Amino acid sequence: MKEFNIVLAGVGGQGILLAAEILGTAAVKEGLNVRVSEIHGMAQRGGAVTSSVRIGESVLAPTVTDGQADVLLGFEPLETARNLKYASEKTLVIMSSERIPPSARGAMNYLSIEEVKQKIHCFTVKLVVVHASELARVAGSSLAQNSVLVGALAAVTGFPVKVENVIDALKELVPTKHVEMNVKAFRLGYEAMEKERADQL
Amino acid sequence: MLLLGNDAIARGILEAGIGVVTTYPGTPASEIGDSISEIAESAGLYMEYSVNEMVAVQVAAGAANCGVRALTAMKHVGLNVAADMVMTLAYVGVRGGYVIVTADDPECYSSQNEQDSRYYALLSNLPCLEPSNPQEAKEMTVSAVEVSEKLELPVFLRTTTRVSHTRGPVEYGSVVKPSLSGNFIRDMKRLIMVPAFSRPKHEVLLKQAARATEISEASLCNSVLQKGGEVGIVSSGSAFNYAVEAANLLGLDAGFLKLGMTHPLPEKKIAAFLRLYSKIVIVEELDPYLETQIKAIAKDQAPNVEICGKMTDASFPKEGELSTRLVAIGLSKISGKRLPIDFRKTGEKYAEVLRALPSRPPILCAGCPHRASYFVIKKVGGDKAVYPDDIGCYALGISPPLNVGDIMICMGASVGMAQGISKVTGKDTIATLGDSTFFHGAIPGLINAVYNDSRIVVAVLDNQTTAMTGHQPHAGTGVTGMGTPAQRVLVEKVAEGCGVKYVRVVNPFKVKEATAVLKEALRHPGPSVVVFRSPCTLLDLREKRRRGIRILPARISDKCTNCMACVKLLGCPALVVVDDRARIDETMCTACGLCASVCPYSAIEGSCLE
Repeated sequence: MKEFNIVLAGVGGQGILLAAEILGTAAVKEGLNVRVSEIHGMAQRGGAVTSSVRIGESVLAPTVTDGQADVLLGFEPLETARNLKYASEKTLVIMSSERIPPSARGAMNYLSIEEVKQKIHCFTVKLVVVHASELARVAGSSLAQNSVLVGALAAVTGFPVKVENVIDALKELVPTKHVEMNVKAFRLGYEAMEKERADQL
Repeated sequence: MLLLGNDAIARGILEAGIGVVTTYPGTPASEIGDSISEIAESAGLYMEYSVNEMVAVQVAAGAANCGVRALTAMKHVGLNVAADMVMTLAYVGVRGGYVIVTADDPECYSSQNEQDSRYYALLSNLPCLEPSNPQEAKEMTVSAVEVSEKLELPVFLRTTTRVSHTRGPVEYGSVVKPSLSGNFIRDMKRLIMVPAFSRPKHEVLLKQAARATEISEASLCNSVLQKGGEVGIVSSGSAFNYAVEAANLLGLDAGFLKLGMTHPLPEKKIAAFLRLYSKIVIVEELDPYLETQIKAIAKDQAPNVEICGKMTDASFPKEGELSTRLVAIGLSKISGKRLPIDFRKTGEKYAEVLRALPSRPPILCAGCPHRASYFVIKKVGGDKAVYPDDIGCYALGISPPLNVGDIMICMGASVGMAQGISKVTGKDTIATLGDSTFFHGAIPGLINAVYNDSRIVVAVLDNQTTAMTGHQPHAGTGVTGMGTPAQRVLVEKVAEGCGVKYVRVVNPFKVKEATAVLKEALRHPGPSVVVFRSPCTLLDLREKRRRGIRILPARISDKCTNCMACVKLLGCPALVVVDDRARIDETMCTACGLCASVCPYSAIEGSCLE
């Protein structure tokens, strides 16, 4: 593996920074070099949030170059579309289906899921939609959506970190009382992705 | 360990045996102080959230002049506040190692400007170290203390957002037990900067700066990482990471001189590198700080070498943050190597996608007391009043539908600017600022308003924390950075002490009462202060959760005529429109009751204070 680039995109409050930290910690556990970039402060107040995780020996820069994402992990459809500059035909887009309108006013011109899919297809045909909120609710709370998506990512072919290491990192970083729920959410995400792969075969 | 750049600096503080850490929070520097605050007591060091960056440097400089190792952390614009102290502290120097961390914010992710703080090193003659990743951030914190003690000068550690807020693997060294006990040695010629003593101290500073150049020449922070190649690239900080990756992307065979000590520059080392090439490329973020100096070095020592960067050839931008893409485009232009990715084509395709997307700017949280304050302020002041604004969460009040905030420049400026605006327009002028900002930079402005009898209203939006940067305590909160209880300094008492005759404290969620008070304040002939006090909703919710208090979200009853007043007036994210009807998002609603107080049909029920 030369390098593996992940862009995480969503809305402030969705647990994107925690998901990125879990992935970074998992990479360190695997003995791999990694850079995680995040933006704090102003950007977090319900605004659009983008974080990136880059894994690989030669990785120095914390941010992903345009078109160079291996996976675009979208926590929200609109924000997935907003980060398509990181995508190209080699990119796999994993997108949560639940929409969060930007505001009561912005809701009026919010794209439909079909429209978002069309935009994604202009860049890549590799798109997997995960019903992350639903799966998170099955696990115990919609707040565990980030663990569902991390689980889905962990099942991607070529993702360079072993599942055990990701689960260990998750257990370390999630508050103790929510660990069980988040591990369950992780597994549901993982299984959803595996099923998707089986279907594609 | 995977560490955030700022946490790596905190680790460096422990490994350097630093005894006194002072800070004023500011993104992207905040986590340095916050991490130290968490462990200060057990680690045996003293930590404080100072009232502003100037005071933070003063406290630390006092300790460092008694031989204790110290560090002050701040964001780049904080260094402007501290600059008066820093410039002459350079003459006085220190006895214990002293590091000033300044975190720049290229791209203004969370700042009002994107100044290049390396110029402060040039201006003050103080050494400056510039890490490019978390591991270096930790190591350079320790090196900065060593350099500081060798030269008896403060040393800058300059980071940027992409160093401070990048996580990377960090290897730990051993912790050095901090010493907190200092001794003050009287030495007027060294410590009292009257002209007669300042003049010789300036000479001393210049001699030390020359010694610093020797340190820079020998420093491993400044090293040639790769020799040979068609071009020589000189780079520093996060720009170095992009430069290496961009050269790889292009297949450009380049040599690299990486500068980790960017003031003073290692002139001999640079000259030797320049002489190896006919073409040199300087890759740096923001201003051509290295480029101007390296061109000066080249003039005497390598006059024939061609130097590219952001000056004559403008291959890289002077504004915004760099990226592998931007550096690759610049290097491609300089070297003639073809870009393997057609950035323009994907850029056009992306621009088309972007045009169709509604934006998602940051907004005031559901239940934020600032929303209530601004609703009241706008109701009273209308479109005619002028609203000088300040730095903090409340700057988000500029968004529709609140639209409060007409001019915003730096910490505390709302109060001073209000006086000039009021003087020459005669308009009602309401300055809005937060509690932490009030203590930080507004008190001299307020005294000025009293002294010069300016008819302004100062609205202090007091949410009892420093919210935007991560809820740090301040003088008004009753807690210190060590976690110990403190005497609360109250905004209203300060205002009264400054001589303000009209001072009132209101709860912004009691809309009627707050409105009446603000109207009265506007009629007051001199300066007035209205404190809108209600805790930050994020802290309030955390506290309620801890105490097991359930929040019952507001409900819309069948009296609702769907007039949308609540949606249009407040812009609360918990008020959503579903199938053309106003609805309350129950997971978001904090039951603040503001929507209930603005509903003309009393159709919203919930925890309403009135």
